[in-house]
Amino acid sequence: MAEQTILETTGAPSFAARYRNVLLGALAVVLFLAAWQAIFLVVPFNPLFMSKPSLIAAGYVDLIESGDLFNDLTVSAVPFFLGLCAAVLIGVPLGIVMGWRPRVGYALDPLMTVFYASPLVALAPLLVIFFGVGVSGKAIIVFSLSVFPFIFNACAGVRAVDRLLINVVRSLGGGEWDLYRKVIFPSVLPYIVAAARIAVGRALIGVLVGEFFAASEGIGFAISRFGDLFAIDKMFACILIVMVIAVVLTEGIRWAERAAFPWRAGQ
Amino acid sequence: MTGYIQGRNVSLTFRPPNRAPVRALGGFDIDVEEGEFLSIVGPSGCGKSTFLSILLGLVKPDSGDVLMHGKKIGGPGSDRAMVFQEFGLLPWRTVAHNIELGLELKRVPAEKRRAVSERLVALVGLAGFEQHYPHELSGGMKQRVGLARALATDPEVLLMDEPFAALDAQTRDLMQVELLRIWREAKKTVLFVTHQIDEAIYLSDRVMVMSKRPGRAKRIFAIKLPRPREYEMRVTPEFNDLKLEIWNTLKDEIAA
Repeated sequence: MAEQTILETTGAPSFAARYRNVLLGALAVVLFLAAWQAIFLVVPFNPLFMSKPSLIAAGYVDLIESGDLFNDLTVSAVPFFLGLCAAVLIGVPLGIVMGWRPRVGYALDPLMTVFYASPLVALAPLLVIFFGVGVSGKAIIVFSLSVFPFIFNACAGVRAVDRLLINVVRSLGGGEWDLYRKVIFPSVLPYIVAAARIAVGRALIGVLVGEFFAASEGIGFAISRFGDLFAIDKMFACILIVMVIAVVLTEGIRWAERAAFPWRAGQ
Repeated sequence: MTGYIQGRNVSLTFRPPNRAPVRALGGFDIDVEEGEFLSIVGPSGCGKSTFLSILLGLVKPDSGDVLMHGKKIGGPGSDRAMVFQEFGLLPWRTVAHNIELGLELKRVPAEKRRAVSERLVALVGLAGFEQHYPHELSGGMKQRVGLARALATDPEVLLMDEPFAALDAQTRDLMQVELLRIWREAKKTVLFVTHQIDEAIYLSDRVMVMSKRPGRAKRIFAIKLPRPREYEMRVTPEFNDLKLEIWNTLKDEIAA
């Protein structure tokens, strides 16, 4: 009898039960901000070196009213998306060929690993010298940071393609192009989306680094300029907005992943 | 013998890199009659699955000929289709789209494909599951999809490579009954590879026992049990006599 009652009450979950995970996460963020604000009551930080949430919020108001924030973000968005698109367009086909043609894989694997493992950020000044302070220089930094996840994941995806499915398509009369369209590409797609999650973070670093070295606009430039001016409130405001963008993009991709691959739900 | 499907002195050796070559088939002969249900039993690794792959056109023998209608098999063709042990369903496709795969590859228009998949979904007993994904199906249902996909291109010959080996015993019994019903309706020639002597006798017109590797035909048994076959036939003396005789032929080939 008792058990039955329990089962009935679990039939329709309450608001709190349904969004419990999200609420817990939000609560932690709020507590963190409150603690940050509160610590200033105890410890007398020098406002030149440290800021607090209330001042950062005021900084946001300034930046939004002047239109600077929106302007800087749109300026930074251009090389970000150009570099990221180029990384997909070049990284995915390259990775697929490396995975599907073993000799190409053996030839290119060491080179790619070296580039991936090396601190490409250190090469940023050189890239700016080569390609200038405009969009192209930054886009190339973004590209060189974000292309590797696409290459490696596409390659791993192809190597994980189920040979049985290849035989199925061949036995039903499919040719080489059919194999790519019906088996290889759909198998690799989830790997590419997973790569995109990693690449977005790296691409954001690329934009910021590019703008730290040489730029007159952009969110990275804004961060470094406000730092130089000891305008810590506005500097934190810009850093936090970048963090929010990173989270939104990564979580957006995660959400799209679940929506786009219903067949992976059981795996 | 009509010479519908003939295998003559078929030999094949696998040469995996860094390992000793494996002689899978050595002088294998077979004659299949049109419309019959022929099962092949044999010890593990005797090359029975390899022969199906050759007949399917995915693997070429080192020597010997495999002929269908007197013509050498040079590659996959729409007169043959395989039902695979591990189903081989594309996980990102629904049941209906998996069934339509072969028709898609033959560039059959969408409406016609849909008509075929609707008919086959009903034939294999999956009505209502058209829009399900493979991960939502049980093993038996997955193999029903595999069977429907093989039937979709309307081949003359169905090649079945231990199709029920991945299923539990009860599901397997049920699928055997279903297969006989579908075979009667679809009127195909079936080559059925299995490890189960029961299964082979229950389903087949003839059962071929193969030798151990390199595989060759050891003996062929004609199964004279009347059709349609009833489940109860499995416990008749005739059935058990056959089972014992096939087992005695097979057991010398099995190295435990």
